[in-house]
Amino acid sequence: MQIEYFNQITIFTPKDKIYSRLGYSKGITKLNGKQLDEVEGYIEKALEIVELRGVGAILPINKIEASKIILAEGITFASESLAKFLVDSKEVLLMAATSGLKIVEAVSKNSTGKNVTAAVVFDAVASEMTDGALSWIINYFNRQLSRENKQLTPRRFSAGYGDFSLKNQKIIYDILKLGQLGISLSNKYVLIPEKSVTAVAGIGFKQENKE
Amino acid sequence: MKNKIKLLNNRVLVLDGATGTQLQKRGMPSGVSPEVWCLRNPKVISAIHADYQKAGAEIVYTSTFGANRIKLKFYGNYNVGKVNKDLALIAKKAVKNKALVAGGIGPTGKFVEPFGPLKFEEAVEIFKEQAKGLLLAGVDLFIIETMMDIQEARAALIAVKELTDKFTMVTMTYELDGRTLNGTDPLTALNTLQSLGADAVGCNCSAGPGQMVKFIKAMKPYAKVPLIAKPNAGMPKLVKGKISFDMGPEKFASFAKELVSAGASLLGGCCGTTPEHIRKVKREVSGLKPVALSKKSVGLLSSARRSVILKGRKSLTIIGEAINPTGKKILQKELRQGKTSFIRYLAKEQEKAGASLLDVNVGIAGIDEVKTLKRIINMLAVNSSLPLVIDSSRGEAIETALRVYPGRALINSISGQKNKLKKLLSLAAKYGAMFILLPLEGKSLPKSFQERKKIILDILKEAKKIGFSKDDIIVDAMTLAVSSHPKAALETLKTIDWVSNNVKCNSVVGLSNISFGLPKRNIINAAFLALAKKKGLSLAIANPSKLKVRYSKLAESLLLGKDKDAKAFLAYFSKAPKEKKEVKISLSAEEKVFQAIIEGNREDVKEFTREAVSFDCKASEFVRKVMIPAINKVGDLFDKKEYFLPQLIASAETMKLALLELQPYLKEDDLKRGKKTVVFLATVKGDIHDIGKNIVALMLKNYGFDVVDLGKDVSAERIIKEIKRQKFSIVGLSSLMTTTMVNMKEVIDEAKRQGLNCRFIVGGAVVTRSFARSIGAEYANDSIEAVRVAKKLN
Repeated sequence: MQIEYFNQITIFTPKDKIYSRLGYSKGITKLNGKQLDEVEGYIEKALEIVELRGVGAILPINKIEASKIILAEGITFASESLAKFLVDSKEVLLMAATSGLKIVEAVSKNSTGKNVTAAVVFDAVASEMTDGALSWIINYFNRQLSRENKQLTPRRFSAGYGDFSLKNQKIIYDILKLGQLGISLSNKYVLIPEKSVTAVAGIGFKQENKE
Repeated sequence: MKNKIKLLNNRVLVLDGATGTQLQKRGMPSGVSPEVWCLRNPKVISAIHADYQKAGAEIVYTSTFGANRIKLKFYGNYNVGKVNKDLALIAKKAVKNKALVAGGIGPTGKFVEPFGPLKFEEAVEIFKEQAKGLLLAGVDLFIIETMMDIQEARAALIAVKELTDKFTMVTMTYELDGRTLNGTDPLTALNTLQSLGADAVGCNCSAGPGQMVKFIKAMKPYAKVPLIAKPNAGMPKLVKGKISFDMGPEKFASFAKELVSAGASLLGGCCGTTPEHIRKVKREVSGLKPVALSKKSVGLLSSARRSVILKGRKSLTIIGEAINPTGKKILQKELRQGKTSFIRYLAKEQEKAGASLLDVNVGIAGIDEVKTLKRIINMLAVNSSLPLVIDSSRGEAIETALRVYPGRALINSISGQKNKLKKLLSLAAKYGAMFILLPLEGKSLPKSFQERKKIILDILKEAKKIGFSKDDIIVDAMTLAVSSHPKAALETLKTIDWVSNNVKCNSVVGLSNISFGLPKRNIINAAFLALAKKKGLSLAIANPSKLKVRYSKLAESLLLGKDKDAKAFLAYFSKAPKEKKEVKISLSAEEKVFQAIIEGNREDVKEFTREAVSFDCKASEFVRKVMIPAINKVGDLFDKKEYFLPQLIASAETMKLALLELQPYLKEDDLKRGKKTVVFLATVKGDIHDIGKNIVALMLKNYGFDVVDLGKDVSAERIIKEIKRQKFSIVGLSSLMTTTMVNMKEVIDEAKRQGLNCRFIVGGAVVTRSFARSIGAEYANDSIEAVRVAKKLN
């Protein structure tokens, strides 16, 4: 198994998604110039301290049973919903991304009264940038896999969905050695800093070319 | 080979199709190295090459896509040179001189610095190792393909170019949004690669042929080399774990003419294509002539993510001058300490103020300029999308910077000094950089236009010998201070006029030099800039923040009739400050506070509140009659989505400030009215997310509740302990995760068991109305609803 670390992920700012997360509704929400400048200013400030990093690794699936998936080296995820999600896959991509500690500290500092407006914008930027980083990782691996005529499932699955309990985050944490990205895991299996995520995607292959 | 390339002017050349998918179809199992498998099964790969040649491919690619040391190492210990040589020999033997053989180089899978961990020179060495093997087999040309990192493509191109002058093609792969994974668009890649010496540039893989037409169209107007299109057979689809490409040969080939019309002159296929696809493409393009190259040279600068077209006198381009340590102690200190935060700030500020290019100068005494410049260039390549201007007098520093810069840079500057001229021109040529021509020869400054003219012509002549055209060069018209040279401005204006209208070259001035030593420098600079633009000035090196570039650009568009109905001008200048002024003039103190809350005007609300209170208004009545209706209106606007979250919060914070101002008066009223209802807020055990809860706290306080925020990750025991202290309370519980929302039930069950007099409101991303009901709590979707529910329960 080869673990790929990305210590510097550069993505275009998903402005539409940030505004949408904040409740902006195109054609309905009205902002005057001053309000727009304020929000844009906070987005810029947030981007200055977001530090996108990520990691991914491909593991073969040894066996899929009704309620568990057994990967190489006996690594087991117990989850019926994940087993269903991966039913057509022969391999999985385990991945993680983080926006780093600085932005989370800025959210925390501002949200307890200092500047809650800034905090909500920072929070939205961090969430969407982290999500964008995961998409970037998926695109990266899709590029690598396409030459082998393989592709990742269009959706990804995260611990906390369905019966794929948060405990599984510990398994992903250990495999991907998330400590190297400055991420730690609480005793309740929550990733710290807050804007960090892990995910699983399946890999399909076998050619079926229509000619 | 040269004859073949000449053919590119007369007809479209056909390339081969997919190798990987063909290998799989012909028996290659999954999980093996395709290169190693080909060596062990030479008949299979040989048949694929031969099939493509017979189908009409005039150039076939060797099956060496992943034959670099990084990828091969994953499968065992292989001799990289030998693997490449042997695979290229198989290709040559297969096509029997009936097609040209292109030595294929693919990505290593690692990002190259500054975008990733692979050192730039290491990447160059890796590709050289591969190219040497291919050369030993006698490949006719090179193809660097499927690159998603412009820096890796540059490393591979430099590697090949440093070994051979064979024809070298480079193709990038783009996502559906028309950019590579690192954000490079087709025009930017074209500019960087053709300047660096690629003989043909294009795209492969990426998407189906229809999508690729757009990429080719974007490149064609600026292409001085032939363009390549090698698309997939449509988009790959994953159905029940199996990949299929949905475009058959007929449909695939039906796009060939459109690709040629868009500007492609080399066509082939990538993933999912077969010899049949290529046969049909060959049939479609037979007899077609490629669209002629429209450019021999291009005045275009690029970073890794953006290109800036120099438009001559039509539009002024600003080069931000702030990243220069001369006279800036903070910057000097930062450079010496090896830090970069102030430089990042300067880059952002200048971009915001209207700079299109960034000048980078790190020359201070006692610093390793070569090392420092490389570090700063790498940092800015990632942190700014503006193309860079490399400003140094040291050839070694310029070369190091040009080598690592993942774009097409501008050198500031190359003068006529004999010992440096040829060396710097060669450097600029090798790395495809543009340069600023400084009309300086000896030690003394040429003060008159005539002196400058002679030097300019001499340097242009030397540059032309090396292959530069006027589009590659920007002439510095040289600005001297009018305080010491009274005719300085006039001589500069003459030079600009001559450069723009006679030489027909872009011109630049270092703007602030003109006013050196004088007061009111901004006025002098602005007046000089207006005069220079009239003479045809195309670039100015200046501090855009001081120049008010954005303002002057808006005014210029307005005056030249480009801004219809003055829309852009009015939109920019008719912002909130004007509205604020009106508020101050016409509204009563109470109305001002009301309006301030609606607009989230935190700057003025305290002053307005003080004003209102001084009119002998009763505080609690003021809150009830003015402030609560204002925040209610904000809530309505939020419900209707006319306001979004930041506006709601800004209004809530404004009200909080007003309440703080009223606090001394409100305390008296509270004493008369009795105690407020206490609301405990907590994010439940195991959950660390609390921003939603903090917003609810802010809103509830505004509505007069006494909020006790217990924080996040709070145990049931602690919450129960707090509730017990009150006769009656409302408890708000928050949770973002499915795994922690169950802890809400634990708190509520325990409160019931102990018979505590309290009511619960729950909320958070995963919490639903039905879940709330099931555990015996009220539900609030957001802070506005939380207030409504709390008021109901009170």
